[in-house]
Amino acid sequence: MNPLTGTGHLVRLALRRERTIAPWWILLIVTLALAMVAYINRNMGTYELKLTYIGLIRSNAFLQGLGGGFVEPRLEVLATWRSGGFLYVASAFAAVMSVVRHTRGEEDAGRSELVRSAVVGRRAQLTAAMLVATGVSLFGGLVTAVVLIGIGLEPIGSLAYGAAITVAGWVFAGVAAVAAQLSRNARTATAVGLSALAVSYVLRYAGDASGQYWLKYPSPIGWSHLVQAYQDERWWMLGVSILAGAVLLAVAYQLLGRRDLGAGLLSERLGRARAPELRGPISLAWRLHRGLLVKWTAGVAFFTAAAAGLSPLGRDLLSRPSILADNIRNTLGVPADETLGAYSWYMILILAYAIALYPVLMTLRLREEEISGRAEAVQATPVTRLRWAAGHLVVTGLGTTALMAVAGLVFGTLYSVLVGDLATDMPRFLAGALGAVPAVWCVGAVCVLAYGLLPRASVAISWTVWILTAALGQVAGPLYGRWGGSPLEPLHYIPNAFAAAPLDAGPVVALLAVTAILLGGGLLALRRRDFG
Amino acid sequence: MSDAISVTGLVKTFGATRALDGLDLVVGTGEVHGFLGPNGAGKSTTIRILLGMLRADAGTARLLGGDPWADATELHRRLAYVPGDVTLWPHLSGGEVIDLLGRLRGGLDERRRAELLERFDLDPRKKSRAYSKGNRQKVALIAALASDAELLILDEPTTGLDPLMEEVFRETVREEQRRGNRTVLLSSHILAEVEELCDRVTIIKDGRTVESGTLAGLRHLSRTSIQADLAAPTDGLADLPGVHDLRAEGDRVWFDVDTAALDAVLRHLTDVGVRGLVSRPPTLEELFLRHYDRTGAGNGRHAGAAR
Repeated sequence: MNPLTGTGHLVRLALRRERTIAPWWILLIVTLALAMVAYINRNMGTYELKLTYIGLIRSNAFLQGLGGGFVEPRLEVLATWRSGGFLYVASAFAAVMSVVRHTRGEEDAGRSELVRSAVVGRRAQLTAAMLVATGVSLFGGLVTAVVLIGIGLEPIGSLAYGAAITVAGWVFAGVAAVAAQLSRNARTATAVGLSALAVSYVLRYAGDASGQYWLKYPSPIGWSHLVQAYQDERWWMLGVSILAGAVLLAVAYQLLGRRDLGAGLLSERLGRARAPELRGPISLAWRLHRGLLVKWTAGVAFFTAAAAGLSPLGRDLLSRPSILADNIRNTLGVPADETLGAYSWYMILILAYAIALYPVLMTLRLREEEISGRAEAVQATPVTRLRWAAGHLVVTGLGTTALMAVAGLVFGTLYSVLVGDLATDMPRFLAGALGAVPAVWCVGAVCVLAYGLLPRASVAISWTVWILTAALGQVAGPLYGRWGGSPLEPLHYIPNAFAAAPLDAGPVVALLAVTAILLGGGLLALRRRDFG
Repeated sequence: MSDAISVTGLVKTFGATRALDGLDLVVGTGEVHGFLGPNGAGKSTTIRILLGMLRADAGTARLLGGDPWADATELHRRLAYVPGDVTLWPHLSGGEVIDLLGRLRGGLDERRRAELLERFDLDPRKKSRAYSKGNRQKVALIAALASDAELLILDEPTTGLDPLMEEVFRETVREEQRRGNRTVLLSSHILAEVEELCDRVTIIKDGRTVESGTLAGLRHLSRTSIQADLAAPTDGLADLPGVHDLRAEGDRVWFDVDTAALDAVLRHLTDVGVRGLVSRPPTLEELFLRHYDRTGAGNGRHAGAAR
């Protein structure tokens, strides 16, 4: 049998399943590309303003790293410089998730066995996954290019930019294809694929931030940057990405031919025969979710360290007059002589918005436990529905607190060592970070309410809650000079540990009360509704 | 109150679908009760109402003398449940899951845990995601059987087990039966299993109870198949009440007869003169097939047989 037999059917099946996911990725990519053009047009309408902006970027390694590479005072270059750093990663991320979902994810669920028992070639499933993932990247890139040409940007450069977005997806689809063969389950495959993405982002970022541009060449994300759309359009860099993706796919095919269905090359270890510490809902929740918390802690520590490591740069940046710095200071209400404090506070806030995703994800796991039937097994014991949920929520609440504490401690320590003083700054940072905890809890509590009241819609609601919180919040606000600091999101109310004003306990108490009411409502609804 | 489970007129709707439509179920304390019905008849929905996961729209349900929704926690202390489709936490080993569920139920018998692991031939160190369906079922079964719950609710517990393991399961349930202090509600499609283990059965279809009683009682409701070689051809048979599907070939006749009409029919046969007689009691298969058949309208009769 031809190893590709049945690919067409499987592509259709995968597309059917992607239709609720892929359009959002494409929309995200196109919207962001457009938003950045509008942003540059609005804030840097004149050549002089563009020059000032470029001066700002060139003098700041953090910004330089963020957008990557060489900037020129032209709309196209500035806009894609702003969006590219994110879009290449988004395209790659979507590809990794999609390939794993349609290969190892299917094997995990046992559906591959059913599919492969039909008239389907050995390579059909992987090929279909690659076609679909690459198709999504291609579509994202193509639509972006067409839309950018449509609003009047230079056509050749726009095509190059769209192609750079597409090839980032292609290379990482290849990475995921290999990862899916190596790992024994979808989670590990996703982790391997995303780790590769993280490493190549860090390489690219480090290269651009430090001026050691050669660091971009070993990074697939760097290759997309090196295409240099709207500048000198190095088309041959696209060839490098295409070739790398093809080689990875060939490797994946080889590995696929050498392994059994369901087996991986990284083997499975035996577990323990007894579980002396599993005695109740809390210890169970801890056992189930500790892996996620460990990963989050590592991630938070890493990014906090990276942000705090830029403190000296922040000092330089904010000591000069700039629109951005004024925006930040005004929005956060920080006195002018506390510029560095404002910078740090801004960073802590960014981390708080990111960490707010943790309780949201934990609430999603509650729903996952319910749907899978595992929660039913627990609730068929004397453990009540409320105790079951409380076990998860206790771990979520304490985990959130721990993550904020890690952010405060790591930032405080590095900041003290680099530009501050351990005795005074450390407590300030820790207090500032912990002050955000009630607001972050509140975000999670909204999701718990949704889970209790509208279980079917709760996944969509939870994501929306987090996205709105971050979008309406104080981080996106100052950057765009608009809609920032909406009083509709809880992080608006967290006490600023760097403002001169005396600490006010009112908002904290109010946030805790709102959190308690939301949680109570959610749990009450959960107790009263049908389960499963 | 001597009934472990008593359900009357249970109704549960999901949107436009009526999953349960006036279901009745009575399980006496200490009995092993078979709970049968075609796929989608409402067995799992009933069980999930009994577990307090779903709330009934109408009707009453009593479980061990309590209300399954309001007294869920108290009741769950006294029961153990094996779901039809066992899903376990992929990262936990089978041994860990058994310990966890046992402890959540308020402790498990260590000696019995070890014994059951041995008998069911399960490696407790394997991660749950590496188990086959049958092995996942073993994990849930061991966790349930090693508890000292007075009521076991088993939802198609043997569908993934091999014949050897199924025999182990039957043995274990028979032991429980002999000890006499456990009630078992066993939902199953395996007729041999039901026939061997169950004291009484309830058959449901489309959310309604269609038969309930002892197996002997249910058999009583069915027809006996008769083949007879007679001394002479007869034509009076077809007019007798309770005779069905009559076929004649010379002196030989084949027909089915209702149990109630058996006496009269046999008398008629002996009047003609019987040279040979083969009688076959109704098999459970026939009984079940009659009810499982979607088109056949064999419903509405309650055996109400004595326990």
